[in-house]
Amino acid sequence: MLRRRPDSGLGNIRSSPAAPGRNIDWTLLIGQGLLTIIGCFIVYSATFTRGTDPYQFVIRQVIFAIAASVAMVVVMSLDYQWLRDRARLIYAATIVVLFGILVLGVATNTRPLLAIEIGPIQIQPAEFAKFTVLIALCAYLTDDRKNEEVDYARFLGSLIMVGFPAVLVMAQPDLGSGTVLVAMAMGVLLVAGAKARYIIAISLLTLVTMGAAFIGNLVNDYQLERLKVFIDPDNPDLEDNVFQVRNAIRAVGTGGVFGKGWLRGELVNRDVPVVWADFPFAAVGEQFGLVGGMLLLLLFLVVLVRIWRIAHLSRDLFGTYLCAGVFTMLLWQVFQNTGMTIGIMPVTGLPMPFISYGGSSLVTYFCMFGLVQSVHMRRMR
Amino acid sequence: MATDRRVARLGVLALVATLLFSALGVRLWFLQTVESAQLQALVDDTRRVEVQIPPERGRIFDTEGRVLADNRGTLTAALDWAVMRDDTDRATIFNRLAGWLDLTVEEMETRYDSGRYSRYRPMPIAEDVPEDVAVALQERIEDFPGLLIEPAWERVYPYAPLASHVIGYMGSITDQTEDYFKELGYDTSSQGERVGASGLEQSYETVLHGQWGKIVYEIDSANRIVRTVSSTPAVNGQDIVLTLDLDIQYYAERLLITQLRDRRNFTTSNPEVTYPNGQRGPMDRSLPVGTQVRYPAPSGSIVALDQDNGSVLAMASYPTYDNRWFSPEFGDRFDELFPANVPDDQARLINRAIQGRYNMGSTFKLFTAYAALATGVLGPGETYNDQGEYRLTSISEDRCAEGVRCVFRNALCSGTNRPCVYGTVDVEAALAVSSDTFFYRLGEKFYTIPGTPFQDAVTQLGLGKDPGIDLPGAYDGQLATNEVQARMADDGALGENPSRTLQPGDLLQMSIGQGITAVSPLQLAMGYAAVGNGGTVPTPHVVRMILAPETPDHPTKPGYANLSGATIARHVRPAGTPAPMPPATRDPIVNGMRRNVTGPGANGASTTAEELFAIGYPASAIPIGGKTGTAQGRNNYPWNDSSAFAAFSVDPERPITVVSYLEKAGYGSVGAAPVVKCMYLAFSGLITLDPPPIADPLDPEDTVAAHDLAPVDQECMRSTNAGTVAALD
Repeated sequence: MLRRRPDSGLGNIRSSPAAPGRNIDWTLLIGQGLLTIIGCFIVYSATFTRGTDPYQFVIRQVIFAIAASVAMVVVMSLDYQWLRDRARLIYAATIVVLFGILVLGVATNTRPLLAIEIGPIQIQPAEFAKFTVLIALCAYLTDDRKNEEVDYARFLGSLIMVGFPAVLVMAQPDLGSGTVLVAMAMGVLLVAGAKARYIIAISLLTLVTMGAAFIGNLVNDYQLERLKVFIDPDNPDLEDNVFQVRNAIRAVGTGGVFGKGWLRGELVNRDVPVVWADFPFAAVGEQFGLVGGMLLLLLFLVVLVRIWRIAHLSRDLFGTYLCAGVFTMLLWQVFQNTGMTIGIMPVTGLPMPFISYGGSSLVTYFCMFGLVQSVHMRRMR
Repeated sequence: MATDRRVARLGVLALVATLLFSALGVRLWFLQTVESAQLQALVDDTRRVEVQIPPERGRIFDTEGRVLADNRGTLTAALDWAVMRDDTDRATIFNRLAGWLDLTVEEMETRYDSGRYSRYRPMPIAEDVPEDVAVALQERIEDFPGLLIEPAWERVYPYAPLASHVIGYMGSITDQTEDYFKELGYDTSSQGERVGASGLEQSYETVLHGQWGKIVYEIDSANRIVRTVSSTPAVNGQDIVLTLDLDIQYYAERLLITQLRDRRNFTTSNPEVTYPNGQRGPMDRSLPVGTQVRYPAPSGSIVALDQDNGSVLAMASYPTYDNRWFSPEFGDRFDELFPANVPDDQARLINRAIQGRYNMGSTFKLFTAYAALATGVLGPGETYNDQGEYRLTSISEDRCAEGVRCVFRNALCSGTNRPCVYGTVDVEAALAVSSDTFFYRLGEKFYTIPGTPFQDAVTQLGLGKDPGIDLPGAYDGQLATNEVQARMADDGALGENPSRTLQPGDLLQMSIGQGITAVSPLQLAMGYAAVGNGGTVPTPHVVRMILAPETPDHPTKPGYANLSGATIARHVRPAGTPAPMPPATRDPIVNGMRRNVTGPGANGASTTAEELFAIGYPASAIPIGGKTGTAQGRNNYPWNDSSAFAAFSVDPERPITVVSYLEKAGYGSVGAAPVVKCMYLAFSGLITLDPPPIADPLDPEDTVAAHDLAPVDQECMRSTNAGTVAALD
């Protein structure tokens, strides 16, 4: 389907220009591929000094990427409207799994319990929830749509719809993934036509809720300490927590304009714990400097622009909302992860999409990008 | 396209994205240009170094508290890999250190290039740095970036080479043991820590080892310690107290050497024999009949047990070695000191007391008598008319005529040089005079009844299975069974066309301690101890108790620990295994063994040991029952005869079993028996024991792994030499 005979004059006339297969956004696909490949290199440079086999992490990451590509092709081949028809089922399954893992965590007293182990594979349901809740929310917002603005009832319904899984995720506790769900909801609601004051109101409410959760000791101590570190980095009681961020900042800072060079990231490999999952940007900054960091951000920007464009071109609202949701999540995660690495955001466990080591995140983002491609592929239908 | 305001709304989203990315960009630019130099300075300023604190290994004390294995604290100078990566930096630091550490730059470069050291820890550049040098280096530490002074321990053996085989030595972690030690949290990187590789050092490794500690320092760019970040103290290893008393151990080791060297002065003649073709000629065809050949007496062992509880009171093996040679500083001398191509009977590292694989000769008759009495093969008071030879009855005359050996003779009698004839003997007399034919008959009886009652009974006395001693590598022993016979036949160990099943003759051989049955001296002692104590095979053990770490030194006696100030972590008291021994079984054996030592013999013949014990063994000495044994060696040449003697105490107040085995040293009555006699006199307090000396430092140029100790007075070995007729056994 990708073949075109040379000098055939009329081009490929055997399929319509509107056929999905002829409408893949190649710029987006190539951008995504580049990010994934860069991610593998960064994972290697941040793990090759650990353990006996320098390739043990990167080999797994490559396998994750292959598995994720398969999942993406499946999603691309599906009409996104097909998913819309099954939104309720998808949402119900998500809630059951999230609730299940929470109960399992409490029952076995392993907290935080973020992943389900199936043989050698660890699956983080919170990651997949980003994908499924997005579909459910967009379906809900386009269901029986009459007027352009989202009315108060539907707005409230949306909040409950996203709030429930978000609370379940935060209770795991995975605060970072919870914030991604909230950010996604806000992005989708904004594009769907919620009044600006609703959004402002809900933003304030979220902040107040989080504040209350901290004060009421509903969140884990380490999350509280991470926040304290952000507010008061010189507090000597927080030495161990400061350590991680301070060294990440130092790693990026000492990278300078051009970086220290490939595999010369001494600080990240010595002083930054779990750099391959939590602080990949520190590895980028230390090895490739300002130039490398900026290029990576630029690549993310290119991808964001393409998603934005697809949202714009979508023939239906459902597609637009989906793209808006993916856009917001990607934006939020890149900003949050990079921000915490360079000290302008508090530390959460949010991975950097495509770059951080981890299969669940990679598969989820490939699926979401597949969804975006699906919208683009079927825009002329 | 839907007609809505989504373009405007999407625009808001784009605006937010632009804002957020701008924020990232600005911060990144600021961080990596403006703040970069300042952060670099901070990074250079605060580095962390980890100093590993090794645990002090548990010490080993003898039963009196003598420190047999001690530790010496040393200091190691190590360099961070980071400062050596650059060639010029490395040359500079090596040059600066050369004078201080008394090393050449080339030597340091050799280490750097050797690839022997883990890249995850600073590379040791010099071990055993004198304390004043270490202090001086620490004072000038800013001149030596990356230098780290780390504490280390070196194992020392103050009384070496005494009890080397028991204490053992330390060695590197091998490929085979790497996983095991890694699991236990050891540093298994190459040139990582050393572990017990032999003896108690090996078997009590996990008790002695302790746990590593660690101090993390923050250091500034001048390599000065700014502050301690964290500190985990090391947990030192537990000390162990042995059942050995070094006084008696020292005596035993010297006694063993004295007798072996003495035996080398004696000769035996090449006898005339009848060849299978009927002709007569010299036994060793390379020598004329009557040629005098010296006994080589290359090696031997002594083991003494508390026969009630299995405590090892002395354990000597010769030839021995000085365990200080296993220190890493002598690593290049190893092949020279312990050449691989020495004959088995001169190998030094073997602890012959527990690893020797021997025929036990007539000392085995105790086991045969026990098996026969316990199973009813021999009735109470049953006698046999010993006419000097035994003819098999379970084999037809025809097969005998075909050349199968059917006639078995007694050992030769001194004075007559013909097989002894003892007349009518019961088991007691048969043991006393060592009548072979009496036991041959029992061997054949065992052959004719189904099952393996002989082997089973002997196993019950501790043979043919793991003796359970707390030393590594003890020999399990081997009994004559159909399985062993088949295996050895298949391996080609039994000559041409061997039978794959036991024949009557094989059980006859077993009944007098010859053939394929093999036993270690320790196992022999265990069986004798069981008869001595009345029915329990004791589990032998060298460790008496385990102490809490850091037992203090004795305040006044140098070389001793203060055991009264020690905290006992646990006692080592392994239970023995019962061996049923009603009086009807035990009494004749005890009486026979006792008679072997005290006399009288039978039919005009003396017992094998009575002349020896008739002189210099007063009534105040421990009363014993014992048995001589002479095991034939290669080609049955008389100079290959090995000498055994085993004895137990019949005084419940002084329950001591002693076994000695001297390889290729002649008859049991002249080789091993005098050694055992002297040991009992020593245990009885009738011999003045010299205090064991603290060892002199090793001579690094020495070419011998251990020099012979000074001999002991041989008075206690004297025999009456009355010229009586007795079995040469």
